[in-house]
Amino acid sequence: MSATDTSSRVSRFRSAVAEGWTRERFGVLGALALILITFAPPFQVYLFTDFLVVSLFALGFNLLYGYTGLLSFGHGLFYAGGAYGIAIVLRDLGPMIADIVGTGISPLVTFMIGGVVGLVLVIIVAVPVGWLSVRLQEIYFALITLAFGMLGYSLIIQDPAGLTNGTDGVIVLLGTVDLGGTSLRIGGRRIYYVISTITVVAATYGVWRIVNSPFGTICKAIRESPDRAAALGIDASHHRWMTFIISAAVVGIAGVLRAGLASVASPGLTHWSTSAIAVIATVIGGATYFYGPFVGAFIFLYIRWAISRFPALEAYWELFFGALLIAVVLFFKQGAVGGLLLLRDRVLGNNDDSDPGGRENTVDPGEQASAASDHEDEPGNDNMATDRGDDT
Amino acid sequence: MSLTSLVPLIGISDVVIGLSLGSRLFLIAVGLSLIFGVLGVLNFAHGGFYMLGAYVTLAVVSNVIDNFWIAAVVGALAVGIVGAVIEFSAIRRLYDRVDSDLDQLIVTFGFVLVIHETVRFIWGSGSYSIDPPDVFNFSVTFGGSTFNAYRLVVIGLAVAVLIGLWLFITRTYFGSLVRGTSSDREMAAMLGVDVPRLYTGVFFLGSVLAGLGGALSAPLQSTSPALGDQVIIDAFIVVVIGGLGSMSGAFVGAMLIGMMQSLGPQFISAGSIAIPFLAMVIVLLIRPEGLFGGIGE
Amino acid sequence: MDLHIYVVSDTHGRLLTMETEIGDDENKEKQTGGTPTSSASQSPIGRRRFLQATGAGTAVALAGCSGGGGDSGPVTLGAAYILSGFASLYGEEAERGIEFAQSRINDNGGIDGREVDVIVRDTEASGDTAIQQIRSLVQEDNVDGLFGLDSSGVAQAVAPQISQLQVPFMITHAATPFVTSPQGEHEDSVGNEYVFRDSNSLAQDVYGAARVAEELDATEWATIGPDYAFGYETWDYFQAYCDGLGVEAEFTAEQFPALATSDYTPFISSILDADPDAVLTPLWGADLTTFIGQAEDAGWFDQIDHTLFSVGMGTDYPSDGSPLPEGEYASTRYDPFVPDSETNNSFREAYYEEYGTLPTYNAEGAYRALYLYKDAIESAGSTEASALVDEFTGMEHSGPVGEYQFSETNQATVASVWGTVTYDDEWESNVLDPVNRYEAGPDVLSEALGDSDLPTGI
Repeated sequence: MSATDTSSRVSRFRSAVAEGWTRERFGVLGALALILITFAPPFQVYLFTDFLVVSLFALGFNLLYGYTGLLSFGHGLFYAGGAYGIAIVLRDLGPMIADIVGTGISPLVTFMIGGVVGLVLVIIVAVPVGWLSVRLQEIYFALITLAFGMLGYSLIIQDPAGLTNGTDGVIVLLGTVDLGGTSLRIGGRRIYYVISTITVVAATYGVWRIVNSPFGTICKAIRESPDRAAALGIDASHHRWMTFIISAAVVGIAGVLRAGLASVASPGLTHWSTSAIAVIATVIGGATYFYGPFVGAFIFLYIRWAISRFPALEAYWELFFGALLIAVVLFFKQGAVGGLLLLRDRVLGNNDDSDPGGRENTVDPGEQASAASDHEDEPGNDNMATDRGDDT
Repeated sequence: MSLTSLVPLIGISDVVIGLSLGSRLFLIAVGLSLIFGVLGVLNFAHGGFYMLGAYVTLAVVSNVIDNFWIAAVVGALAVGIVGAVIEFSAIRRLYDRVDSDLDQLIVTFGFVLVIHETVRFIWGSGSYSIDPPDVFNFSVTFGGSTFNAYRLVVIGLAVAVLIGLWLFITRTYFGSLVRGTSSDREMAAMLGVDVPRLYTGVFFLGSVLAGLGGALSAPLQSTSPALGDQVIIDAFIVVVIGGLGSMSGAFVGAMLIGMMQSLGPQFISAGSIAIPFLAMVIVLLIRPEGLFGGIGE
Repeated sequence: MDLHIYVVSDTHGRLLTMETEIGDDENKEKQTGGTPTSSASQSPIGRRRFLQATGAGTAVALAGCSGGGGDSGPVTLGAAYILSGFASLYGEEAERGIEFAQSRINDNGGIDGREVDVIVRDTEASGDTAIQQIRSLVQEDNVDGLFGLDSSGVAQAVAPQISQLQVPFMITHAATPFVTSPQGEHEDSVGNEYVFRDSNSLAQDVYGAARVAEELDATEWATIGPDYAFGYETWDYFQAYCDGLGVEAEFTAEQFPALATSDYTPFISSILDADPDAVLTPLWGADLTTFIGQAEDAGWFDQIDHTLFSVGMGTDYPSDGSPLPEGEYASTRYDPFVPDSETNNSFREAYYEEYGTLPTYNAEGAYRALYLYKDAIESAGSTEASALVDEFTGMEHSGPVGEYQFSETNQATVASVWGTVTYDDEWESNVLDPVNRYEAGPDVLSEALGDSDLPTGI
């Protein structure tokens, strides 16, 4: 009896490991790691918070790029939108809120209201911008988002409404919560790390749910074959529009966190070169994977930090990422996540003869954005590349 | 904001300055447009090519030969070679891909970073300037305003390039191959056109034009590593307004933006930097093919 | 054909030779070789370090004492300047001043017998980058004190962070009065007890400009300045001072091109169309050099009677070409010939011998910051932040710039120096001759500002 019991338990354990218990275990390990980082030296806490924020920025960007195939060069607009939203609330409404809720708790309340305002602002901007932009595709979509981003940049710099303080940007002071003798500085490295972690994990979970919902499936279907999706009665541009708005909102949340982390909302956030950070992180990490942007952001920030420890190289870190970007697109479109999965298969001896597209069975379909469409021999999409003019 | 009178006087010099700014934009935009029209590649690194042209010209004048015109030709050709190498070694690999447009854009963006950092490594992050060639380095005073005579030379050269390119595309055998390939690549290949070589050739030509733009502009502006990033955005605006692939469109678009840059400060303090982007958005939505037609027009 | 190459903001002639900056490299060696303590904090949370941290309960305290904070190792100072981009010349000049002071201090017994190390970081003229670099200097490299900053916009973003990091910061160049105006005095004020400035502020400098304007036969004034805090504040203060001093002036045109603009012609043309009698320009760095060349082409100096360069001499001494036009007015935060004191003269001579150019104010400001730290640490007998802040507060000090004291708002009471740009054959460089020093203490400034609500910053 005990023998069968044991063996059944072992087999149950095996199947549990095989069927996604690994994910739970990873989840627990990840949560543990996130908690332990709270006790790291302050600069490391700061760097890791930075990594989380950039990850969320890239994740939002990739919701659009990886899942609908629309490459935006203007997502900095939403990054800045979130940052300016909270910065302006903190600057202009802080005293008013303090009058209402009392000075002790007001910094926290102001921070939360600012975050919500930033998010709402981003959505208000994203609805028309997205509606107009998704009428275009491919290069034209990249160009119009670039134009919208730079339009935002110009307006923030010229500051016609007197809200953005022009080139200098808006200074962000998060303040200290004072409750019955205990005081917590919101901008303090550890407190802010905890706030960022909770926000990023929650936002990531939300995105993950969306990607794996029927809505996400439809988006992928549109991406794989717009014609077939249209034949099924799917309104492609409506789905692209909705994805655009959600993507912008996620980036907006990252922007809110960025403002507090950088202590300043600066116009550079909406410049195309900031939008390009999301492109770099996503492509290097692997745009076809849900977690690609995280790995890409990790590489982007930690390699940059490592390079910064060598003053002789410090000035030239962009060269490294330029070369890496070219190499990834030319030779290994699956990026770092694809590379890691390939490596894991090699090490574990799984079907290592499979293509490097990351189609292997261990990956949850939800984690794959659209690996299939990246293969050169996919026949269905050939038209798209050649009938460029007709598409628009 | 501006404290100048509401109806500012538009002097002759404002027009000359606007046209010379437009000329420099035309030289970069026409190459960008040509490459897009034939290869379907939107070359993000084109601003970097322009900057490289200026740097090579400055370096040749100061180190090798004290003749601006020779240096400018060397600068343009050097950039052409860099462009051809990039097309041959990297961009070529992407033509047959699904999503080739976006992959090309990302790869050329990678080259933006590489060129920027290489220039910084070689020449430092400071900025350089140079006098116009002596023959043309004098002030012209006309209608109460003053400008440098070299500006007129740049405008003249831009017009010459437009005419030369138009003749080249419409009157020569190579030009007919270019036109044919741009409208139907498969057909051209079947008819025996060596498409890969033609592509490299066109990319070379487009890069030479960007390099030439940088070289000719070197006496009119300061050259620093930031130059490429500044100018590529202007070039994108120009080609969108003029129509991606259209040469005459690039010319008109460039002159329009040049005049706007010249007259902007008169009307709105700090320049009306938002208007070109607004124009870009509107054109993309209403006439994504641009205000002018396709290649050769 | 005779072509002139102007190497605008690069003193090392890299256009010709590709050689790397010698001064830089030496400095960087010092950074890597000279701070053995920093390597420990560089490694990502090592196991040992982590255990210590949890064991001790607070990692902050631990990071604090495992760094350079001990009393036997070198004194480590962190500096943040613009080392790349349009104003990299300023960073290079500051690095010279640092190197010069550092070798002099270390050759003469160091600070209380301890060597001084300086880690210099690049702010890239961006507030965001500057904040990140400064955090890294404090939290990774555990520096004992901070100094530097070239840009007003950057300084305004950095100042609030300094009070949170609780490390003294000696600003040596960035000129905005709002960083030495206590928080609350004006809506833009960000001054606090940790932020000091050893060079003169825009409020002091522009006061001198208004005094120059008083003497000039010019009624219509215009400005062309960079599109950020510094450009706008210069113009605001100038108008307020003219008003307060009763200068008969009308303000007829203003242009604020973006930083690092490569072609100023449209803006120049617009000012020329307005045809003012005189122009005050706070353009600086490579932007100023670009502007001068393009203004000459457009006939600016024939048409405009007087041009006042409020930051001009900072690029003029070390630059190889496109100098300020003779006969125009310029200010400096430090003049190598005034005061005619033993300290200043010997500093100038030794500096010239070492680097072959006259010392700029940015070199002098950084040089003096090291001596300020030396004096404060030796007097306090400690490198504790609070002890240093106490020492700096109200400190009386003297250096090449002359004798001065830190005001109630932590601003050095140095004079405003304006003069006429004149080429000097002996030094093969432009100098200010004749030159005027306008005392610019708290009372003078607040009186000159009249009814304006702008703070004196002192």
